[in-house]
Amino acid sequence: MMGELIVRNLLHRPLRTLIGVLAVAVEVALVVLIVGLTSGLLTETAKRIEGIGADVMLQPPAASVFIGMTGAPMPIKIGDKLAELKYVQSVAPALLQFSSSGGVDVVYGIDSDSFRAVSGGFVFLQGHDMEGPDDLLVDDLAAAAKHIQVGDTFKLLNHDWHVAAIIEHGKGARLFVPLATLQDLVGAPDKASIFWLKCTRPEHTEDVMDEIRHLLPGYTVRPLSSLLSLMTSTNIPGLQTFIDAMIWLAVAIGLLVIFLTMYTTVIERTRDIGVLKSLGAGRAFIVRALLTESAGLCVMGIVAGVGLSYVVRAAFLAGFPTLSILITWPWILRAAGIALAGALLGASYPAWMASRKDAVEALSYD
Amino acid sequence: MGIAATIQQPAEGLMVPGKKSLEPILKTENLWKLYRAGKVDVPALRGVNFAVAPGESVAVMGPSGCGKSSLLYVIGGLAQASKGRVLVDGNDLTAMSDAERTKLRRSKIGFVFQRFNLLPTLTAKGNIAIAQFIHGDGFDPHRFDVVTGLLGLAGRLQHKPSELSGGEQQRVAIARAIINEPKILLADEPTGNLDSKNSEVVLEMLRQLNKDLGQTIVMITHNPEATTYFDRVVHMRDGVIVDGVPAD
Repeated sequence: MMGELIVRNLLHRPLRTLIGVLAVAVEVALVVLIVGLTSGLLTETAKRIEGIGADVMLQPPAASVFIGMTGAPMPIKIGDKLAELKYVQSVAPALLQFSSSGGVDVVYGIDSDSFRAVSGGFVFLQGHDMEGPDDLLVDDLAAAAKHIQVGDTFKLLNHDWHVAAIIEHGKGARLFVPLATLQDLVGAPDKASIFWLKCTRPEHTEDVMDEIRHLLPGYTVRPLSSLLSLMTSTNIPGLQTFIDAMIWLAVAIGLLVIFLTMYTTVIERTRDIGVLKSLGAGRAFIVRALLTESAGLCVMGIVAGVGLSYVVRAAFLAGFPTLSILITWPWILRAAGIALAGALLGASYPAWMASRKDAVEALSYD
Repeated sequence: MGIAATIQQPAEGLMVPGKKSLEPILKTENLWKLYRAGKVDVPALRGVNFAVAPGESVAVMGPSGCGKSSLLYVIGGLAQASKGRVLVDGNDLTAMSDAERTKLRRSKIGFVFQRFNLLPTLTAKGNIAIAQFIHGDGFDPHRFDVVTGLLGLAGRLQHKPSELSGGEQQRVAIARAIINEPKILLADEPTGNLDSKNSEVVLEMLRQLNKDLGQTIVMITHNPEATTYFDRVVHMRDGVIVDGVPAD
């Protein structure tokens, strides 16, 4: 009976119900998408770096796990020393440079031979490997996003590059250029931002890392296998705060709309509340009825919000193929919990207000 | 026996025409109800002494503002008395908390209002069933069928109040009020919003409930003709009962 009362009440004012549902849906979608976008980008970046196939990466002292943030302070000759270490099969230096032309990218300056030795080489979908100093390799997602084709001239870092190949994504960066050319362009001759190392066997990773620590005290040495766990929003200064702020903003929107919806509901149903009281409904019954109605509205909003999240993700990915939005069930459940708590909180005052209404006054309400 | 005399002897039985002497199921003793208007207390009831025997039907008449509705709300436990006592089936309402009065109302009182006061979102069936739900015994299909059959509602149960005539709405309201077999049915001008034909139907149904099922009824009315359906008529003026005589 309570269920019928709630369903019929929700259907009685479809526009108001729709607004409430939409507010919760936006709340849920905001939480899911903000977290999904952040974690998606970080996870996708981590997977791409892992996809290089190296076992160890070496960075300058105090370097961030977000490798694109590192400059180029390491002499390239370190690579020779690293190659001499026991259990090291191959070493590949890379110079990393931010580019903001046509979107934010990290360009890898690489030496084709050494990078191939570490990574096993690219999968070429079109074109060929770098042969000239101005050759550019673009992964398939970036090519689709930037509408690049093999043979095109592409301006990057204020330099005209010749697109030599479209490669399969997943090997670190989306854009690769010759190391020497990038060193000249950014004024960092004989420098590298990072070294990728391939061990003779993966089990030797720790041994190699120990050797590097001994050889280059203070330098940052990380196993690639731990990269995924390190690439989290909490490791980027301010990012977690931003995410938290966005979540609270979404919760505030949902809570206020639910509050307003239930408040107007209670005002409109003042007489009905008087009737229920005349039938012997206690305060607990009235509070329960309104909170359940709010929860019902919220559940519809959660379902709509999850659907909305997938629709928005599909739209984003269609427009921006290089984006990655990771929608996960743990965060869907968390967003649902947040929305439900907000809805119950938002409805609690109107419910309390309704439960305390004077029955006689309520019955004479027009 | 006049009601004024009866309430002077509360320990003794009531004489209901055609019925045995019984202990009152409803009794008020020096009942006062004050409403606050700004800084002034306005008395709506000024020491009402009133008693109703089980199975009795009583019509309360009086001019607007004489305290009829206040009396109904206080004896129904919807409003708290300012002074005096209200005994419903032996329970003193004035000594009860709001929650206790709610519980008593749920089990012993049924209300019928002038404006029907059906829940607009529910069907006729839902409006009756919700009273059973609130009562806590769940839906009783047998009792439901008996009551709706008695009130001639069987064919109108799936309709919402907005799809029912005034008479039908009031019959649904009566069904809702008696579905849990309350000890007392309180009706606040139940024919006030009905035409004469529907008024007669509703009054006849109330009389039928009283005569056939022994339902105790207290009804407020402005309509002198309506009082002919009741055992006794009580007149109120300025917050007090001025007489109480058996109806012709």
